[in-house]
Amino acid sequence: MLMSVPDDRRSDEEESVDEHRMLPELVAHLRQHRTELREDWARRIEASHLLHAMTPQEIGSETSSVYDNYVEVLETGSVDALQRYARDLSERIIPRGVETDEVVGIVLLLRDVLARSLFQKYQDDFALLNRVLDAYEPAANRIANTVAVSFVEERERIIREQQDAIRELSTPVLQVRERLLILPIIGVLDAQRATQLTDQLLRGIRIHRAKVVVVDITGVADIDTSVANHLVKTVDASRLMGASVIITGLSSDIAQTLVRIGVDLSKMNTIGDLQGGIEEAERQLGFRVIRPEQG
Amino acid sequence: MISPGDVGGDPLTEEIVELTGLLRRVVGRRVRDREAVDDIVQETLARLLAARTRLDGRAIGPYAIVTARNLVKSQWQRADVGKRHEHRLADTRDPVRPDEPLLEQEEAEAIRIALDRLAPRERDVLVAHVVEGRDTGSLADDLASTPGAVAAQLGRSRAKLRVEYILALEGEPPTRQCRPVLLSLSAGDRRRQGELDAGYHLLDCDFCASMSEPLFDRRAKATADEVRIPVTVDADVVVARQRGREVAVQAGFSATEATVIATAISEISRNIVRFARRGEVTVTILTDDGASGVLVVAQDAGPGIPDIDLALQEGHTTYGGLGLGLPGSRRLMDEFEISSEVGRGTTVTMTKWHRR
Amino acid sequence: MFVSILQQGDFLIASIHAALDDSELMRFQKDVMAEIANHRAKGVIIDVAALDVLDSFGSWSLRNLVHMARLRGATTVIVGIQPEVAFSIVELGMELDVTTALDLENGLEYLESVTTGHRAGKSMLGVLGSHDT
Repeated sequence: MLMSVPDDRRSDEEESVDEHRMLPELVAHLRQHRTELREDWARRIEASHLLHAMTPQEIGSETSSVYDNYVEVLETGSVDALQRYARDLSERIIPRGVETDEVVGIVLLLRDVLARSLFQKYQDDFALLNRVLDAYEPAANRIANTVAVSFVEERERIIREQQDAIRELSTPVLQVRERLLILPIIGVLDAQRATQLTDQLLRGIRIHRAKVVVVDITGVADIDTSVANHLVKTVDASRLMGASVIITGLSSDIAQTLVRIGVDLSKMNTIGDLQGGIEEAERQLGFRVIRPEQG
Repeated sequence: MISPGDVGGDPLTEEIVELTGLLRRVVGRRVRDREAVDDIVQETLARLLAARTRLDGRAIGPYAIVTARNLVKSQWQRADVGKRHEHRLADTRDPVRPDEPLLEQEEAEAIRIALDRLAPRERDVLVAHVVEGRDTGSLADDLASTPGAVAAQLGRSRAKLRVEYILALEGEPPTRQCRPVLLSLSAGDRRRQGELDAGYHLLDCDFCASMSEPLFDRRAKATADEVRIPVTVDADVVVARQRGREVAVQAGFSATEATVIATAISEISRNIVRFARRGEVTVTILTDDGASGVLVVAQDAGPGIPDIDLALQEGHTTYGGLGLGLPGSRRLMDEFEISSEVGRGTTVTMTKWHRR
Repeated sequence: MFVSILQQGDFLIASIHAALDDSELMRFQKDVMAEIANHRAKGVIIDVAALDVLDSFGSWSLRNLVHMARLRGATTVIVGIQPEVAFSIVELGMELDVTTALDLENGLEYLESVTTGHRAGKSMLGVLGSHDT
């Protein structure tokens, strides 16, 4: 087969071949001067008051790792290892209050420290310097981008986790005795929280092998019709799993909402207060209730 | 690994294998690592073999060089050669970034522009088929044509849409030659490729060289977020709901929501088995402005439903069940639409959105 | 096999071990009815813990099975409905008027309490302990 390759291809080819020759040379230089360059970088970090939440020792060991990862990216062209390290680092430093601009700041500082050292080395041959920088700059920018994105993603993940934890805490499932669960609900019961309540209640029944559940809504002022509907569905679903639900602390507003959407309250087991609800639950479980004050 | 011994006597295949030496030289001039050279050459050969039925014989050599060059470039840009199989399965873009929503918006805009560039008649037929789910048979009736001709036209329209979509994203091509060449590559029209000397153009035009990759690479992407389940017998109902649940979980739904979706899929698939005997359920992941969801489409060419309002009434039953199938699925999902034509078939379209 | 029907004293324990399609569900219904007649069972436990989905047809067949069994003199309890499945049944709008229990153990306990004078199953209750304190 005859391959005709137009002449103007050559220059492009030369350029990419050039880039591939420049990078190894660059990497060799950065390896050779690792100690001084890393120290210079750490000094600048200190001078710029970045990472003040960390001790000099910690900064020393992290900068070594970042430096080595940095050089590795230049050598292999793969950011995978750096990405993993950046996530791991973020996980460690985010709880200590390190901010996004600090992380971006230190990576940009390193970029400049290295660029400066390249400048010094090649300053006598301007054409060569340009070619070195051409090879270096895109890779350096990509590294900065990778670190920043990893940090931001890690921070978002941590925030999401914390939000989930707070939501879980807001609808605790308490096991007061074998086969009896209590769910005290306080605050605003909106659609999202109602869905979560259902999930936790149904899963709680399974996990604790509950037979009776007391849902106490004394702390809930009012609910809209969709949440009321959801509550009724949750009671029905619990019954299908083999558990009965007692609702206590129903305010007159909520009772009205339930009646308005056509809930047959006689089918719902509602009891005035939590104490009464627990007694009814124990009766259903076969325990005898003794009220000391009544002898 | 592909070696000359592995492949049969197909002359085009042999020709591709004979390109190995040339490819080694092309890649070797750009990459020093011997193993990386081997990997890239192998990958190029694999892609060529996959695309060989779509390429004019004379385009094979140039396409091989262009593919190898693209692979070399992408090796330096993002991917480790060792991970090449991984990134073919997944989205080839970088992991999610803050600018993702903007990109999606641009993509939606690109699809709109691409659709606008189709001839009105072409567009109508394509939309009727892909969006409304009309089959080629019924479209052929409307157009006084044959199903085969409609299918061929749909193929050409799709090829054109792909090219226009990419051009809408990447900008207008540099020469007048580019669009027809890309069209012939996208459509796999070898005669036209020969007429246009598409191979030479690929070598000469950087723009088309980089565009040719996504045009050939589209298959893996189309199937990633979508499953199709043919439904004819009882057992298919179970398969449909199980696959549907997997897609729902993949779309980020909780176990409870995924079960709700699986239940709705179960109901509408059963209707296909009961009333139409043959049909298809498609489950697709949707993303819209940060929200995600699933789209379920159940299609059949059965007898159709004479009175949809009656069918949607609770307790209306045709086989002694509870009559909860359609009204129940409507309750389980967020959006529910049904269209039916007596003697032609029924399509149920339902959506559920994932609340964060 | 996807289903099993075992005898436990006067009771039958019918378990579904995998997702069933409609015809398999109908066969299961028939098999359970036949076994109730064979063993003159007083109670039946249907364990559906392995079911991924109970749609209108599935729920309807279970409900029919429970009602038919009652006509044959056997009390039936359905056990093991998964949390997600329970919620979907309710969301679908099904009124599943059957007795349910969390698991096999609770199901047996229930059958014990409603079928008086029963002997064979009593030994199992030993492990449950008594709640009447």
